[in-house]
Amino acid sequence: MTSETSPSVSGDEASDPKPSPEDQLASLALSETDGPASGSPRENNRHNEIESAEEEVQTNSAAPGLAVVENSGEAVRRGRIGGVLWARTNSEPEADGPESPSSSGYAGERGSSSASSAGSGIYEIAEVRDDEVVDGVSDSQAAWVPGKRHVDEDDASISWRKRKKHYFILSNSGKPIYSRHGDEHKLAGFSATLQAIISFVENGGDRVKLVRAGKHQVVFLVKGPIYLVCISCTEEPYESLRMQLELIYGQMLLILTKSVNRCFEKNPKFDMTPLLGGTDVVFSSLIHSFSWNPATFLHAYTCLPLAYATRQAAGAILQDVADSGVLFAILMCKHKVISLVGAQKASLHPDDILLLSNFVMASESFRTSESFSPICLPRYNPMAFLYAYVHYFDIDTYLMLLTTSSEAFYHLKDCRIRIEMVLLKSSVLSEIQRSMLDGGMRVEELPLDPLPRSGSFSPHLGQHTLPTDSPDGFRELYGGIGGPAGLWHFIYRSIFLDQYVSSEFSAPISSPRQQKRLYRAYQKLYASMHERGIGPHKTQFRRDENYVLLCWVTQDFELYAAFDPLADKALAIKTCNRVCQWVKDVENEIFLLGASPFSW
Amino acid sequence: MASRRRMLLKVIILGDSGVGKTSLMNQYVNRKFSNQYKATIGADFLTKEVQFEDRLFTLQIWDTAGQERFQSLGVAFYRGADCCVLVYDVNVMKSFDNLNNWREEFLIQASPSDPENFPFVVLGNKIDVDGGNSRVVSEKKAKAWCASKGNIPYFETSAKEGFNVDDAFQCIAKNALKNEPEEEIYLPDTIDVAGGGRQQRSTGCEC
Repeated sequence: MTSETSPSVSGDEASDPKPSPEDQLASLALSETDGPASGSPRENNRHNEIESAEEEVQTNSAAPGLAVVENSGEAVRRGRIGGVLWARTNSEPEADGPESPSSSGYAGERGSSSASSAGSGIYEIAEVRDDEVVDGVSDSQAAWVPGKRHVDEDDASISWRKRKKHYFILSNSGKPIYSRHGDEHKLAGFSATLQAIISFVENGGDRVKLVRAGKHQVVFLVKGPIYLVCISCTEEPYESLRMQLELIYGQMLLILTKSVNRCFEKNPKFDMTPLLGGTDVVFSSLIHSFSWNPATFLHAYTCLPLAYATRQAAGAILQDVADSGVLFAILMCKHKVISLVGAQKASLHPDDILLLSNFVMASESFRTSESFSPICLPRYNPMAFLYAYVHYFDIDTYLMLLTTSSEAFYHLKDCRIRIEMVLLKSSVLSEIQRSMLDGGMRVEELPLDPLPRSGSFSPHLGQHTLPTDSPDGFRELYGGIGGPAGLWHFIYRSIFLDQYVSSEFSAPISSPRQQKRLYRAYQKLYASMHERGIGPHKTQFRRDENYVLLCWVTQDFELYAAFDPLADKALAIKTCNRVCQWVKDVENEIFLLGASPFSW
Repeated sequence: MASRRRMLLKVIILGDSGVGKTSLMNQYVNRKFSNQYKATIGADFLTKEVQFEDRLFTLQIWDTAGQERFQSLGVAFYRGADCCVLVYDVNVMKSFDNLNNWREEFLIQASPSDPENFPFVVLGNKIDVDGGNSRVVSEKKAKAWCASKGNIPYFETSAKEGFNVDDAFQCIAKNALKNEPEEEIYLPDTIDVAGGGRQQRSTGCEC
């Protein structure tokens, strides 16, 4: 267990000569003197002040990846995954020669020929160039095209090999079930190679988790008869990629339940692809969300900001319905929760919310009419189906009513009509529309003065917009970009609520490409903070050429913040404290409180 | 019921080392032949699309290594096979005698649900060698063995000349189709909340 970046992660046991507890306490009240807080007695014993005692590490852009080797000897490190792997256990030192036309290694030669893989090289190269633009700049939430792309590719195509991230699902007999890029059937040989690698290691009573091949990582996940594989050259941490495979598996369960295992027990030849027919778009949309939706690594959901009373009104009518035999009632706007309610003792895992909303949003047919569909919530019960009634109130806002009864359609339709009437009457729907337009928290609006904490007025979201002529020293200092002290963006995750809030993206994190890069940086930060064995850590301050990243984990919350790379450390820490205070001040509007099923 | 959807067939090729398994694959998939012998390590994987009776098949061909030291890979490789191709060299008696071992080993390791009717195909390869003069296993003898094992289809092939190779694989697709299991309706359970306690507590819950 090695962590190449361990110096950058400082937890309780900071590596420098340990200050006495008194010193630490002293440093809680940040010693920098430019804050109105310093000097004032801290009678409020909230631990909301970040310690400034952690080590600062300058990392260059080629920051080494975080520890990837799991337990000793479980990761196979080989340069190639073609026939070469076998050479490891067999003394024959023969490697695939380029003259072998048949091995279908990923990094190998043009292999598994199929009658239809004839594509002219020129065409392929041109296509790659075209696609790189797509991948680099506009492969984001905005410009994402649903559905499977590049179906004509297989593992012999140069363009296919150049794709940055591949995801595969296959059966333990090597039959392909899903591939993100390319045609599953044409990839049958490749799929067989993957199975052979996994099964071979399994046969030795071991498990392969990760193979590194140059810039590529091959991550394996075995779920009974289902094998999942990710091949990536994105430098994401192993843990993140493995979690993504877990989510893909969860998405598959949501569509089919774990009963598929029985099919494989009865018949190892079982071909699962027909059962998943038409769900390509669900998987590709989930995979796309791995590059923009923080819920995929935070395991928390986010709420649409709404006035407390508005969310209460929505929650009340959902509760009403839940009491009439609905297991879960969830009102959402895109990927954000407006309100959700569960029947007694039933609780909904954030991952299930993510997978369910992805399934509903990705399936075009839900938009056109009210629907009733069997679905499985893998974290609730992976073995069995529930039934989901889905109805869109407008283009972004939809209601999901989950029940155990396959005959409840008309009852749920009645429930929906009741809910819709209430939502219209109490103008919840129009409030939702307005919130969509207004957006959420903006770093530019971070309240300057944190002092009037116990003051009478509680600031509301969106009312902090400072007059432009206000004495905003920070802004002058940082050229009007971002928030105070060079704050560019933050994510706050409440551990108790299983919810997070993310600030709106604004300059300079404005292009989809920058947003994706920041997202990846957060993801890496998250993984390093939660690393098994040496984690969890409490604080991390990391400066590279792109950002200053600050992470702070307490029992109650996790804060991830990105600053200008030139930001002052003490000011950044101070700003994080203010962000936390701000979140506390507006938590009524940005979080779903009380009514959540998590409180049972 | 069985629709027009594409079917994927996992085909395992077995036989002694040097009988020409890889050459047969190369001839079939790539229409190429090389006189140079190069031992397969572990297995090679090829795909080939075939059409049979208006249906499209993808053959996922597992070209395994014949050397005994690779036999420990068996279970991993044979699981979920739709068809098994046994290859011998008509000029080497031992390779024919070993067919029985290969067949039994496969049935043990793959443990198909209906071993009696599992689709095998036997190929007698290298009939071109020396104009057939060095041949030691007669067609009659081979066919008799195939008949005794439940009428396994038998083909005499030449990977070098491409003789009979396509026919043999056409037969593989045909056999697999015959063996296609009836499709069952997929019917998982539904949660019974009233039935008590089958629910799983969500792990993210902080209560």
